[in-house]
Amino acid sequence: MSYKDKIKDKDQDIYILALESSCDETAASVNKNGLEILSNVVSSQVDLHKKFGGVVPEIASRKHLELLLPVIDQALAEAGVEFEDLDAVASTYGPGLVGGLLVTLTAAKTISLALNIPLIGVNHIAGHIYANFIANPEIEKPLICLTISGGHTDLLYFEDLRGYQILGRTIDDAAGEAFDKISRFLGLGYPGGPAIEKAARSGDRDAIDFPRADLGDSYDFSFSGLKTAVMNHVHNEEQRGNEIDQNDLAASFQEAVVDSLASNLIKAVREYKVESVVISGGVAANQRLREVIAERLKEHNLELYYPPLELCTDNAAMIGAVAYYQYLEQDFAPLSISADPSLKL
Amino acid sequence: MLILGIDTSTDILGLALMESGQLKGEYNLSLKRQHSEKLLPLIEEIFELLGFEAGNLDGIAVAVGPGSFTGLRIGITTAKMLGRIFSIPVKGISTLEILAAGAEGNYLLPLLDARRKRVYYSFFQRMENELFLKAINKAASAGISELPEILSKYQDQEISIIGEKTAEVKEVLAKNNFRVRVFRAEKNHPRAAVLARLGEDYLKSGQADDIYQLKPAYLKIPQAEINWQQKYGSK
Repeated sequence: MSYKDKIKDKDQDIYILALESSCDETAASVNKNGLEILSNVVSSQVDLHKKFGGVVPEIASRKHLELLLPVIDQALAEAGVEFEDLDAVASTYGPGLVGGLLVTLTAAKTISLALNIPLIGVNHIAGHIYANFIANPEIEKPLICLTISGGHTDLLYFEDLRGYQILGRTIDDAAGEAFDKISRFLGLGYPGGPAIEKAARSGDRDAIDFPRADLGDSYDFSFSGLKTAVMNHVHNEEQRGNEIDQNDLAASFQEAVVDSLASNLIKAVREYKVESVVISGGVAANQRLREVIAERLKEHNLELYYPPLELCTDNAAMIGAVAYYQYLEQDFAPLSISADPSLKL
Repeated sequence: MLILGIDTSTDILGLALMESGQLKGEYNLSLKRQHSEKLLPLIEEIFELLGFEAGNLDGIAVAVGPGSFTGLRIGITTAKMLGRIFSIPVKGISTLEILAAGAEGNYLLPLLDARRKRVYYSFFQRMENELFLKAINKAASAGISELPEILSKYQDQEISIIGEKTAEVKEVLAKNNFRVRVFRAEKNHPRAAVLARLGEDYLKSGQADDIYQLKPAYLKIPQAEINWQQKYGSK
């Protein structure tokens, strides 16, 4: 009953069906040898959740179950592939909403059992990183990747695409979380990243000299001290009866976050001899961050890569790309794998 | 005809293989929230133990609730995928019908706990020479105290009550002069063998479901939708 003797090596063509349902997109794709995307079907439920001002988990789960077969059918049809042609099946198993995750994870398990092919459980965050490699297959290795969002801040080193080493991560808030908290504190709205960035455009980033966390030799990040400094600054100014320029405050805060992220990244670039630098995750959309990192990379003669917009949103192609490299490592999941809503890299 | 019955609607994970009217094997395991981890390994195990493989299947019967939404989606997703991959028919069956079909009596009241002194119930009649139970009342939820009123036309019949909350329901019905019949422990859980047998009967009589439309018997719209409607009216 084992699929062990069917496992191919990397000289043979490998077809993987990948599935994704961690939030409010139901997605399926077929890819060949990792980065060649034969189909990439995404059915978004954004309109269903709009009236609630956010994703409603139970509504999302119901919709995933409805869309599951149509999305898989379309992905197979567009790729011109039948179930029997598949070498493996993959699904995101975290992080995300547990009810949603379970839909495609259960489907992938069933496909694995029915076709006797390996099951691959993929971390959604890794998917966002690999979206870069789909968009820019020319990216040279080894590379450094900074992946930053509302849920995580990780600095990674890739010798090749088969795996990564975590150099540093946040010891308290994620960068995106810091943006959200300060944005809420200043009454600028949600999500905080774009709100702060917009206000910062009209502000002076040198107006206030906020502290940068000093974590010594480590590549870790910390943003809770900065958050406290911003709040203290506002309270002090208010007590003195001074008016606060929100734009200056936003710009100075953003500059402190960007500087912390960029400094650690450049420190890693100096230490590890890399050929490329990649950023991913929601905060990677911040223009000031891209500008500062690209500028500081010039003296190292390195280009900065980030994924195009269409691969920034959730999709299954990026899950399939990760799955391919897990396939080569024979990093397969047992049928007992469960969803992990707070999965980390 | 080889039928796999899958029930993840309650705390009990039910799996049964039925081959042309012969029960090959059955699991009924009280696993609570482990359906996601256990279902596929147990399907693999039951096939292996009994010398079958998934490709041998001719049809699937799956419990569609009422029950835990997350649990139901695990079983139904599995049934849909197996149906799609092997092009075999799938029949969704009410968990209440499974309870009723597994017990004796001509008037059957299967029950599942809906919390806060409420139950999910159906009311069935067993007809002579009929293969299937006749649903007098389709699956719905009701307060336990409302049941005498709902069943008032059947006060002169003996009613079999099966499932959860049977002691409470028996007391309320007896107080209102109903004749009731209750069962020992093994009848008060949905049994996978009954599900698989029902599945075979339905599929043999050509009553399969469209796997693209198959979904749990939700019986309740999402709480967020209820809140929204209370605030803004429906639509």
